[in-house]
Amino acid sequence: MASEGAAELAALLARAADGDQAAFQDFYNRTSAKLFGIILRILAERGEAEDVLQEVYVTVWRKAAEFDAARASPVTWVATIARNRAIDRLRARAVRPQAPMEDAIDMADTSPNAEQLLAASGEAALVHRALASLEPRHAAAIRSCYFEGVTYETLAEREGVPVGTLKSWVRRGLIRMKAGLSAAEGSA
Amino acid sequence: MTTPDREDEMTPDMVLAMDYALGALERAERRAVETRLRSDPAFRALVADWQAQLAPLDGETPPVPVPDSVWQGIAAEIAPVPRRAAAETPKPGLWQSLALWRSLAFAGTAAAVIAIAQVNPPAPPPGAPPQLLVASLAGADGKPLLAAAYDPLRGSVVLTPATQRDDAGKSPELWVIEGDKPPRSLGVIDIHGPNSHALAAKQLTGLQPGATLAISIEPLGGSKTGLPTGPVVATGKLSAV
Repeated sequence: MASEGAAELAALLARAADGDQAAFQDFYNRTSAKLFGIILRILAERGEAEDVLQEVYVTVWRKAAEFDAARASPVTWVATIARNRAIDRLRARAVRPQAPMEDAIDMADTSPNAEQLLAASGEAALVHRALASLEPRHAAAIRSCYFEGVTYETLAEREGVPVGTLKSWVRRGLIRMKAGLSAAEGSA
Repeated sequence: MTTPDREDEMTPDMVLAMDYALGALERAERRAVETRLRSDPAFRALVADWQAQLAPLDGETPPVPVPDSVWQGIAAEIAPVPRRAAAETPKPGLWQSLALWRSLAFAGTAAAVIAIAQVNPPAPPPGAPPQLLVASLAGADGKPLLAAAYDPLRGSVVLTPATQRDDAGKSPELWVIEGDKPPRSLGVIDIHGPNSHALAAKQLTGLQPGATLAISIEPLGGSKTGLPTGPVVATGKLSAV
C-alpha cells in the first residue's frame, strides 16, 4: 500500500502525535471511509461498525507516537488496528449466530469485482494473482477469514468440512501465496 | 523473513502468527496472542510480517462514506486532555519525557525493584532544580501495593512492589487521573514478563504533582472501553520530593 499519499499521511500522524487535532482530522478525513469499509465487512451492522470506527480513531490518536513509518505504511497500520477491533467486537458478540444463513451465503462470495481490481494498487493486484493461483476453495477460505473475520470453526461449519481440513486449506494456501509473492517480487 | 514451503515445516509460532494476522482465531486465542505480542518482539515480527503480506487485500474493500456523527464522537473524546506540556509554560516537576514500564511482576519477594526504564532525559528547565516525582500506590485498606518514582536527571522510572498479587487471566492497567478529567490509560501492565516498556512520551507529558495514578484489574488485554471497568486495586497521588 505504498502510495504517494503515504508520506503525507505519516506526516499527519506525526503532527497528531504532537497534539495537532487539525492534522488528525485531516488524517481521519483521508482514511476513515476506507476503514469503515473494512469494519463494515466484518461487522455488517452499521451502528456497531460506527462505534468501532470511533474507538479505532481514538486509539490511533492516543498511539500516534508509536507509529513507525519504517515498519508499516500509515494505512496498513490503522487498517490493522481497525480489523483487530472489529474482530474483537465480532468475537464479543454472544453465542448468537453471526448472520442468517442466506446472508452467510451472500457474504461467502467475497471475490473482488473487476472494478475493484482495476482500482487496486499494483501490490493488491499481485496478491490477487497469488490468490488466484490457489485452488478456488482454498482462496475463498482465506478471503472469508480475512474480510469477514470468521473463525476457522465457523467457516468449517459453513463449508461442511472438518476444522482440521479447513485449517490445512488456509495455511497451505497462505504459505503458497507468500511463496508466490516472494517470487513475483524477486522477478520484478 | 523466510517461511518454509510446507505447513509441517513451520514452527507452532509461525502458524500462530499466521492464524492471528489472518483473523481466524477464537476470542481466547486472540487474547493470548495479544498478551504475548506485548512482550515478545520476535513473535511480534512474525505477526507484522504476515500483516504486511495480507494488507494489500484491503485494496479490494471499497470505501464507505462515514456519517458526520462519528467524527463528532471522536472529537469529543480527544478534546479534553491537554496533549503536550510543551504548549504550556515549562514548570519544574513536569514529567517532560518519560518512558514508563509496561511490565511488572507482582509475584516474587517483596520490595524487589523490578523495572527501570531508561530514556534520554530532557534538559531540565533552566534554573529549575530537577525534581523527583513519586507515588505510592495503595489499596483501599491503605496497604501499599507498589511505589513508582521518576527521576528526571536519570530519566528513569523505578517501580517497587510492596506486596504480591495473583491476577492470572487478568491484565492490570495503569491509569492517570488529572483533576476531574476522566481516567486516561497509560497501558496494560504485563505481570508475567520482566521487560520494561517505553510509553509514548506524549502520554506522560504534563503530569504534575497532585495527579493520581491508579491500577485497575481488567480483562486480558486491558479495558475495551477506554475507561476502567474492573476493580481499582490501588491508587496514589504523585508528589514532588
